[in-house]
Amino acid sequence: MSENLERRRFLKCLGASSLILAPLGCSSVKEKEDINKTHYVMVFDQNKCVGCGECKEACNKANHLPVGKSRLLMEEQSSAVEGQPCPHCGKTNDCGCQRKFVRVSCQQCKNAPCVTVCPTGAAHRDEKTGIVTMDAAKCAGCKYCIGACPYDARFINKETDVADNCDFCLHSKLAIGELPACVQQCRYDALIFGDANDPTSYVSKLLAVKDSVRIKPGFGTEPSLRYIPIVKLGV
Amino acid sequence: MDGSIEFTMGLSQGIAWPWPIAVYLFFAGISGGALSVALFIRFYKKQTENTPFLKAASLVSLVTIALGMLCLVIDLTNPLFFWRILVFYNLNSVMSVGVLVLNAYIPLVALVTLFAFEEEIKACKPLHFLLPIIDKLRVIRTPSEKLVLVLAMSVCAYTGFLISALIRFPIINTSVLPALFVASGLSAGAAAAKMLAVSVFKEDLHSKDMHTLHSLEWPVMAAEALFLFMIIMSLATGNAGAQSAFAAFHSGTWAYVFWLGVVGMGFVGPLLLNFATGKAFSHSAKAFFLSGACAVVGMMCLRLFIIYAGQLNAI
Ligand code: SF4
Ligand code: SF4
Repeated sequence: MSENLERRRFLKCLGASSLILAPLGCSSVKEKEDINKTHYVMVFDQNKCVGCGECKEACNKANHLPVGKSRLLMEEQSSAVEGQPCPHCGKTNDCGCQRKFVRVSCQQCKNAPCVTVCPTGAAHRDEKTGIVTMDAAKCAGCKYCIGACPYDARFINKETDVADNCDFCLHSKLAIGELPACVQQCRYDALIFGDANDPTSYVSKLLAVKDSVRIKPGFGTEPSLRYIPIVKLGV
Repeated sequence: MDGSIEFTMGLSQGIAWPWPIAVYLFFAGISGGALSVALFIRFYKKQTENTPFLKAASLVSLVTIALGMLCLVIDLTNPLFFWRILVFYNLNSVMSVGVLVLNAYIPLVALVTLFAFEEEIKACKPLHFLLPIIDKLRVIRTPSEKLVLVLAMSVCAYTGFLISALIRFPIINTSVLPALFVASGLSAGAAAAKMLAVSVFKEDLHSKDMHTLHSLEWPVMAAEALFLFMIIMSLATGNAGAQSAFAAFHSGTWAYVFWLGVVGMGFVGPLLLNFATGKAFSHSAKAFFLSGACAVVGMMCLRLFIIYAGQLNAI
């Protein structure tokens, strides 16, 4: 009885003090991870991506995005140093050698600032899957989440006037038991998707043997997207 | 920044929060600042009458917070969705907590203004329907003034907390920002209210309240300068991201806004007008209004600088 009361009081104080403290450390409100729960991750293998952009088209189609808008971007990078001759072909500019691509989309942070800052709870974590997604009926279009996302991975959907982000096709493909549209589309197997907490899944086996990195880990958002970079040996 | 994978592009295509948000931060700061200073003087000096400065400050406060709300609404992608912020709450979100504060603050500011204008309402026939309301609520005048003083300070601080949650912008994501916003809100709010008090409510340029304000002004301004200096130093000596954002202070258009607007208008202007000119001029009405205007313009430039230079220098 008294123990119960004590605990209740403790929880109450905790609740009250979190009201005061939460805004102070807003971006670092940690969410607990339960390893028995599914944790969907996506792996992007830079060694395999050729930059065809078909993943982007598939995404637009699957999620009915307005023309010219997409939940993901492809950045083309070159390891050649500007103004210096390319180590491969010797040309000084536009040699086209050593191109590599980075697929940019919502990183599905485990500790997601967009979810923390959203005043209405429109940007939220899906209860069943843990995927960060949108409740369009609640979004006020304040763009707080857009400013707060360290990956600049959110945008306003001009058709609905509300914020949008990649949610692994939660409401489109996953809902009908399929893989995300981009993963299905990729002909070069550069995208792998699955449950990292399931030891029998292909992603967890892959992550166990391959070195992968997360982008901007310093923000402490713990992204669920992993990148296998092109590692150039020698020169 | 030598990670094995990086990218530089983003989906939002530009600045998430444009100028209406800067104007909103400006108005909210003036509103909270003006009322805080007026009520502080009222309690400190145990005033019971409705001084010209109290009238001016409560009016400024009410008008600016209303305009601020307008800015907030027009910045939504669809202003018709505004009700959603009022209906759904997420207490982890600074914005949501702020909405709760504003929900209490705005009606209370209106109430405090109503009390402050009792004589004017009596003098104006069409407004007589308000008198019974004032009489009924008179008992809660002091408690509501105390409460609104706390809320006014919270509103000033909240505008700082609101944007310092944007973690990828080193200029914005500093813990000193709320303190800086409180200090600059107080000084610009007081400046706006005292200009109105003198020009409309016939306050004497050299009255007791004005003297109190004068002695408050300089320490608040010094604190403001100190907070700014702290932010600049922490950027200049911070990690790679902070150092790259430091560029905002010495290159680009926003550096001009900072040095001419914030430093020149906001700090150097009032100092020169008050101490570098002859006694006759520095005590004149001209100098009074000029230095008040400088303080207000300086504050607007500060908000614009923080919002724009802040968002343009992401890591
Ligand atoms: S990447 Fe951005 S949008 Fe995606 S979960 Fe993280 S903070 Fe939210
Ligand atoms: S834009 Fe919508 S989803 Fe984003 S923070 Fe505002 S209300 Fe939430």
